[in-house]
Amino acid sequence: MLPPTDRGAAILGDLHEEFLARASIDERAARSWFRREAFGVGLRYWRRARRYRREPVALDGRTIQRGSWEGTVDVITRNVRYAVRRLAKNPMFTLVAVLSLGLGIGANTAMFSLVNATIIRDTPYDRPEELVDVFERAEGFTHGTLSYPDYEDFVEGTTDVFAAVGGTQLALVPLDSDDGAEMLFGEAVTGNYFSILGLEAARGRMISEEDHVAPGAHPVVVLSHDFWVSHFGADPEAVGRELRIGGRAYDVIGVAPEEFSGSVRGIEPAAYFPIMMIDQLNNSTTRILEGRGNQSFFGKARLLPGLGVSQAEAAADRVSARLRRDHPDYWGADKAFVFERTEDVIMNPMIDRFIVPAAGMIMAVVGLVLLIACANLASFLLARAADRRKEIAVRLAMGARRRALVAQLLTETVILAGLGGVLGVIVASQALALLLAADLPLPFPITLDLSLDRTVLGFSLVVSVGAGLLFGLAPALQSTNPDVAPTLRDETAGGGRARGAFLRDALVVGQVAVSVVLLVAAGLFLRSLDASRGIDPGFGDAPIGMVQVVVPADRYSEEEGRAYVRELTGRLSGLSGVTSVGVVDNVPLEQLNNQSVRVNVDGIDPPVGRDYHLVDYAEIDDGFFETVGIPVVAGRGFEPMDRPGTEPVVLVNEEFARRFFPGVDPVGRTVSINDDQARVIGVSADHKVRMLGEAPRPFVYRSYEQRYSSFVWLVARTTGDADRLVVEMMAEARALDPDMVIVAAKTMERHLAILLLGRELGAMVVGGFALLALLLASIGLYGVVSFAVARRAREVGIRLSLGADPRSVIRMLTGGGMRLVLVGSVLGLLFAAAAAQLLSRLLYGVPPLDVPTFVGVPLVLGLVALLASWIPARRVTRIDPVGALRAE
Amino acid sequence: MTRESRLGELEELVLLSVLRLGERADGGSVRDELASEAGRSVSVSTVYVTLMRLEEKGFATSWKGEPTPERGGKARRMYAVTEEGVGALEAVRAVRDHLWSGVDAASEAAGG
Repeated sequence: MLPPTDRGAAILGDLHEEFLARASIDERAARSWFRREAFGVGLRYWRRARRYRREPVALDGRTIQRGSWEGTVDVITRNVRYAVRRLAKNPMFTLVAVLSLGLGIGANTAMFSLVNATIIRDTPYDRPEELVDVFERAEGFTHGTLSYPDYEDFVEGTTDVFAAVGGTQLALVPLDSDDGAEMLFGEAVTGNYFSILGLEAARGRMISEEDHVAPGAHPVVVLSHDFWVSHFGADPEAVGRELRIGGRAYDVIGVAPEEFSGSVRGIEPAAYFPIMMIDQLNNSTTRILEGRGNQSFFGKARLLPGLGVSQAEAAADRVSARLRRDHPDYWGADKAFVFERTEDVIMNPMIDRFIVPAAGMIMAVVGLVLLIACANLASFLLARAADRRKEIAVRLAMGARRRALVAQLLTETVILAGLGGVLGVIVASQALALLLAADLPLPFPITLDLSLDRTVLGFSLVVSVGAGLLFGLAPALQSTNPDVAPTLRDETAGGGRARGAFLRDALVVGQVAVSVVLLVAAGLFLRSLDASRGIDPGFGDAPIGMVQVVVPADRYSEEEGRAYVRELTGRLSGLSGVTSVGVVDNVPLEQLNNQSVRVNVDGIDPPVGRDYHLVDYAEIDDGFFETVGIPVVAGRGFEPMDRPGTEPVVLVNEEFARRFFPGVDPVGRTVSINDDQARVIGVSADHKVRMLGEAPRPFVYRSYEQRYSSFVWLVARTTGDADRLVVEMMAEARALDPDMVIVAAKTMERHLAILLLGRELGAMVVGGFALLALLLASIGLYGVVSFAVARRAREVGIRLSLGADPRSVIRMLTGGGMRLVLVGSVLGLLFAAAAAQLLSRLLYGVPPLDVPTFVGVPLVLGLVALLASWIPARRVTRIDPVGALRAE
Repeated sequence: MTRESRLGELEELVLLSVLRLGERADGGSVRDELASEAGRSVSVSTVYVTLMRLEEKGFATSWKGEPTPERGGKARRMYAVTEEGVGALEAVRAVRDHLWSGVDAASEAAGG
């Protein structure tokens, strides 16, 4: 750094001369003096040289004002260049810091994309503040869907508050293609629906009032943008072509705008149809538009300008009151219309109640992971600050402004954070791609736009830079503390605690505590999953294949439908390995389809406010019980003699018997089901109906033979492989009728796996992040112990040269790390106990203060921590005692 | 008078020290002189930077001296004041004297 001339030599000469003079009095002080002076000389020359090189102020007369824009840019460029050089000089430090941050930011970006896709991303509606979603509140539902007749009454009674009311209904429709049918999600909408939302077609036109005249008379379709791209190759001439659905041709009249991906978040329809075609699309003969009991209509309304939700509620209450009076069968005392602002609804308020806390929990978890990663960064920076304290102290002594030094140190941190952010975005996009590719046993295809949009990237940027500034500031401030005298008095060789050590210790304690919280949460979820896995659903404990077919109502009469199902049942029985075949209209534990009937039993009063009991049911044939393994415990099961025209018969489960026939044998008694009398012929064993964790629920089985349904599941039990059986079953169904619509096909194992999906995902995600946290915390601990080893090299050198046992020295250093772990663990367990109370609602079969979890987590963490501090501590044996002493 | 040709206070002291020391003027002796005669303790770097600035302004000049063993075999750098340097010192002194004469008169009048 000194000028390479004899001028530099002269200065060194001066220094040398005076050093010798001083050394004769006090060598230690002389050394310190020499170092200080030499640093000072070097730095001043260096700064002078730089100033002359960079600021040709006096040479060409051009002035760069301090604080001017150019000056600032110059300073930033210089800082960046300096920071990059320093980072490149310490590739290990840079790598670990960037990896730590990258993982932390990646986890946050990935989870934030999910939250963004489900909760935040805007809908493209016009003046969305005027839109409300219309629901019906009823027994067990705070926000249920409407029936079409209810919708029509609602429209009529609320013209004074709403500019328009429309709605949509989801339909799973079979698209005819060359290789059989493909099931698509579609939306059937009212003629005014798109004008209410303010959506214009990207091509052609949207569904409009002219498509809303007479049921069955409007075979037209608007393609979603994605479907137009995937199935029509984005052909500009697509409008005017046709789409064949369920054997019927629909004219393509338009393409929806790209930014509109359906009315219900997560379900992206392929196409939009007029609601007038709903029966044709559903392949149903039930006339949905006339059935007040068929509630599957999502209402949306636009308030008249200037009106609020409260005025609308008053109007809706009048309609509710009239409906309760006119249709007491469907409108019980507690039923009413309710609203939510469309902007406040994510999927459905009832589902949102779970989504929002789940999202909050996940963001909290990844936030904690990021916190640990940032603590690592801060910890590393503090360690490095200790290394360069001398340089900084000298620069401060030379009159460098503290602000400039802090800015320089922060530049380095922000660059690290920026690199971490870039890595994080890469990690996130890879993780999301993996997630989308995962074959989850979802009940319906969930489409989420997980692309990294501006919101997500903005989030990552803010998180990265924020983390860099926040966690770089403390080390930067500390290492530029103007109280430089102690540093100049030379402490490199001293044994005392370096400043910053306390902060680093505190960071490790914090990291350990956070890791404990996450590990406990993960442990609880795993234990909960384990407990759920232990639940016996009460059926399906064998390799079983399931295929759902829809017998086309326009080609098959009821009699022909029965014949088809009977014929198919026979064929399936003939497949090799199949021991039993059954038919059911709705498999229990199908989470999206719960169906119930109104039940009355003499002597058992219905719940207050209603004149019937609601009981879940299924229609089954005589082979179903044997196939899925539900035993009949009293009376008999269905038999071929239970046919249409004979006395209506039902089976009930044990819980039904307990509840409705306490102390009495129900077999032979009659019950009223949907106001029809039926005789109980048997009692079946209880099984789970809606959820694995539920208490026993009453259940009724009706005879499929006596009550036809065009939607049926065929289930077959095999001694062989269920996956292969499913393929064979589909082939048989098609062999019998090539145009048969197969809606779904799966194994029983997969059907039941859905029930654990939530818990599995929860355990997997929280567990994954907890492990990540543990890894990051271990890196932090490793760093702290390594640093302690380096800092105490001299002391250790002395101990070793005095004959200390290296093992005891290792123990001493490891013990220092483990003390921090102990403090962190105790703190963490306290926080975890509080967090567990919050999680208790999500747990099944595990108390929040689960002893194995709360004991196991600290043990595992302790072992990992022991390793993380032992490895660097072991390095003391490599310290050369003489060399360490000579470091002076 | 341009900015560069004005003498700072430390520059003035260093230049005067060089002048007083005569042939013995080098970095070390200037530091000692400042400490003993002016009561100013400055670091080695400060002295040299100041001397360098004086040379750049043309008020001082320097040359290589003799190496000695107590200096680790390094040669001294000897300094002398240039004519411009003497002129600058005199200019500063003239300004001061002028100002002081005003102060003396005032204080005499006040004390009188």
